[in-house]
Amino acid sequence: MKLTIDRVSKRYGANTLALQDFSLDLGSGILGLLGPNGAGKTTLMSILATITKPTSGTIQWNGTDLAADPNAIRSVLGYLPQDFGVYPNLNAVEFLEYLAAVKGLDSASARRRIDELLNLVNLTDVRKRPLGGYSGGMRQRIGIAQALLNDPKLLIVDEPTAGLDPEERVRFRNLLSDLSGDRIVILSTHIVSDVEATATDIALIAQGRLVAHAAPEELLRAVEGKVWEWVVPSSELNAARQQFLISNTSRRGDGVHVRLLASQPPPGTTSVAPTLEDAYLFCLSQHRAGAAA
Amino acid sequence: MKHPWRVLYQMAKADFLERVRRYSFLLILAGALYMAYAVITEKVVVVVGDGYRGVYNSAWIGMLMAICCSTFLSLCGFYVVKNAIERDSTTRVGRILAATPMPKVLYTVAKTVSYFAVLASMVLVLMAAALAMQWLRPEARPISLWQLWSPFLLIDLPVMFVAGSLALLFETLPVLRGGVGNVIYFFLWTFALAGGATTGMDDATGIHVLTTSTQQALARLDPGGKTKNFSLSIGPGHAWRTFLWNGVDWTPRLLAARLLWAATGLGLAVLASVFFHRFDPAREKIRDKKLKEKRNAVVDDPALAIEHPQPTPARATLTPLGARGQNRFTRLVLSELFLMIKGLHWWWYVVAAGLLIAEFASPTAQAREGVLLAAWIWPVLVWSQMGCRESRNATQSLIFSAERVVYRQLAALWTAGVLVALLTGVGTAFRLLTSLDWPQLAAWCAGALFIPSLALALGVWSGSSKLFEAIYTMWWYVGPLHQLPSLDFVGGSRASSSPGLYLTLAAALLLASCLGRRRQVAYA
Repeated sequence: MKLTIDRVSKRYGANTLALQDFSLDLGSGILGLLGPNGAGKTTLMSILATITKPTSGTIQWNGTDLAADPNAIRSVLGYLPQDFGVYPNLNAVEFLEYLAAVKGLDSASARRRIDELLNLVNLTDVRKRPLGGYSGGMRQRIGIAQALLNDPKLLIVDEPTAGLDPEERVRFRNLLSDLSGDRIVILSTHIVSDVEATATDIALIAQGRLVAHAAPEELLRAVEGKVWEWVVPSSELNAARQQFLISNTSRRGDGVHVRLLASQPPPGTTSVAPTLEDAYLFCLSQHRAGAAA
Repeated sequence: MKHPWRVLYQMAKADFLERVRRYSFLLILAGALYMAYAVITEKVVVVVGDGYRGVYNSAWIGMLMAICCSTFLSLCGFYVVKNAIERDSTTRVGRILAATPMPKVLYTVAKTVSYFAVLASMVLVLMAAALAMQWLRPEARPISLWQLWSPFLLIDLPVMFVAGSLALLFETLPVLRGGVGNVIYFFLWTFALAGGATTGMDDATGIHVLTTSTQQALARLDPGGKTKNFSLSIGPGHAWRTFLWNGVDWTPRLLAARLLWAATGLGLAVLASVFFHRFDPAREKIRDKKLKEKRNAVVDDPALAIEHPQPTPARATLTPLGARGQNRFTRLVLSELFLMIKGLHWWWYVVAAGLLIAEFASPTAQAREGVLLAAWIWPVLVWSQMGCRESRNATQSLIFSAERVVYRQLAALWTAGVLVALLTGVGTAFRLLTSLDWPQLAAWCAGALFIPSLALALGVWSGSSKLFEAIYTMWWYVGPLHQLPSLDFVGGSRASSSPGLYLTLAAALLLASCLGRRRQVAYA
C-alpha cells in the first residue's frame, strides 16, 4: 500500500499558487499534516480525494496514476472534508444508507457497517433523529462515520476535530489510532495536540511547500537544546516578543514564564524539554527565515 | 438606531452589488436584451383590433418594450432575486446582522430596495434599448423621451417594486419560502396578467392602462372595427396595417393608481418584517422541530438534548465488508428515489394517489388531456431537486469523491426521476394501452422521459431548483395546458403531440446533464 505524491502544484487563477512542487511518499500509518491557515493543506486533501485536479505533477496509488484511473483511489477512499453538508430531512441511518449505496456497498454489509459506525461515533441514541436537528459536533461525527463506510484503505480527514467537545475529540483520536493498522490515514489540522496524540509521521506544510517530513521524534530531536524558559516582569514581555520566538507564556506570582526558542538563550533562562508545538514553530520560523533570505 | 438611512443604503448597496456580480443576473440581462432585440426586429409585435399595429413612434415603442418588460421581468426577476434571507442564513452573515441593533423592518425594506434596484437596473437597460430602437427604426420622428420612457417609469417600476417585495414576503413565510412559493407566484402572475379588468387598482401589471388607451385610439380611427383585441404575438405577419397612437394620457387618477401600487410594494416589505425570523435558529428550524416532536417526545431542542455518552470501546474495529453486491445500481436508484420523496407531507401522497385513481377512473381522453396534466405538475418540487441537491446541501465533496459517480449516480438519479413520472402517470398509460392508442402512448412515454431529463439538466447546470420550477411551470402552462403544437410535451391531443421531438430532446438533455456533471467532477 503506497501513495506517491510527485511534484504536485496547484494554481488558482493567475496569481495564487496554493501548492508548489509538493512531493511525499506514504505507507500505512497516520500522517499528521500540519501547517498554518492558508498553507495549502485543504488543497492537497482535495487533490488526493479526487475533488480537484493538480495543475501539474502526478499522484500514484499503488503504482496507478490518479489521472489515468481515478476510480482506483476512489474505491478505497474515505474522505472527511473540512466543510460538508448533510440532507436535513434524513436521519443518520438513512443518510449513511444513501452514501453506502453511492459508494457501491450492498444492503446487508451497509446495514451492519452503519450500526458499527454509529456506535463508534456515539450517535446510536440519536440515529433516528433528522440530521437538520443535529449540533455541529454531531454532524462532524456523521462525517467521520461516512468516511469509514467503505472500509477505506486511504482515509483523508481534514480538520476532523473541529467542533468536537474534548471527550469526543479524545474518542476520535483513539478511533483513528485503532483503525490505522492497515491503512494510510492523512490527518490535516492546525491543532498540534491532535497530531501529537496520533501521528506516526508528520509533514509540515507552509506556503504550499513541504517544509519537513519526519517522525515526531525526529522533529523533537531537531529542536532539543533550543527551548528555554525565562521569567520576565510583565513590563518586559513585549520586548521579549520582539527579540525571541515565543511558543507560550503563563502569568504566575513571580512574573511571566516565557517559553522561547533560541539557539543562544538570554541569561537567566533554563533549558526545558521540547514539545511538538515547539518543533512546529521552530520549523516554520526556519522556513520563513529561509524564504525571506 | 443611529443613522437608519445610512444603514438602509449600505445594506441595500451590499446586497445589490452581490447580486449584479452573479452569472444569474447576466443571464437575465441577456434575456432582457434578447427581448429588446426581438421587439426591434419585429419578432414580437402587439396587434390591436383587426390586424393593426401602431406606427413605431416613441409612444408605441415605449409601450411595446414596457409590456415585454413588465411580463418577462416580473416573472423571471422574482425567481432571480428571491434568496436574500436564505443566503444570509447559509453564509451566517445573518447571525452577525441579527446581533446588531438593526430593526427587522429596516432589514426587510433594505432587501426590498435591493431587489428593486436589481430589477430597475434591467429596466434602465431596456430604456436605453428603446431609445436605440427608435433611432435605428426611423419610422416616426422626432423622438419624445417622455412618451418613450413614461411607460417604463410609471408601469414597469411599480411592478418591479411589487415583484421584489413579494419575493421578500414569500421568503419570510415558511410555507412560501421554497418551491411551493415559486409555483404559487407563477399562478399569481398569470392571474395578474389576465385578471385586471379596469385601469384602477386591480391592474397590477399596468398593462390594462396601455391596452385601454390603444383600443380607444383605434376606436376613434375605426369605429366599426373589432377594437377589443389586444395581443402580444410572435412574428410580424399578424399585423398588416398601422395606426397612430400618441401614448397614454396620464391623468391624476392613473398616476395615483400606479403610485398606490408602489406604496403597496412598500407595505408588503413592512409586512414581511412581521414574519421575518431575524435568523433565530429556533425559528429557522421550526419545521424540523415539529418533526422531531413527533418522533421524540422527550428531546425537543437539539441544543438542549442530553446525549448519553457510551463507554469508549476497548479497541475500535470494523468488520470486513463482503464482496460488492450485484444489485448496486438498483439499490442506488431506490436510494435516490427515497431521497427525492423523503420529507414530503402526507397530503402530497394523498393528492398524488387521488390523481392516480382519477387517471384510472376517467375516460381515456379526459385522463390524457386533463388528469395527466395535473398528475405531472404535482411532482414539480420532487423533480426540481434533481441534479442540484448536492450543491444545495453542500454534499458535493462526499458524493463526487465516490467511484464512477458521473455515470452511475447520475443514471440512478435520472431513473428515479423517470420512476416518479411513471408512477404518477401510470393510470393514463393504462387507459391508453387498453384503448390501443399507440401514438398517444408514445407521446406519454416521451413525456415521462423528457420531464426528468429537463429537471436533471437544469439542476446540474444551474445548481438550483428554481430554474426548473420556473421553466417547467411556464412550459406546462403554455404547452400542455393550451395544447400548443410543438410545446406540448405531454401529448394532450394528437394534433399537439410530438413524441419524436421530445424523445430527441430528452436524449439531448441527458447528454447535457452528463457534460454538466463531468464539469463538476474533477476526474469524470
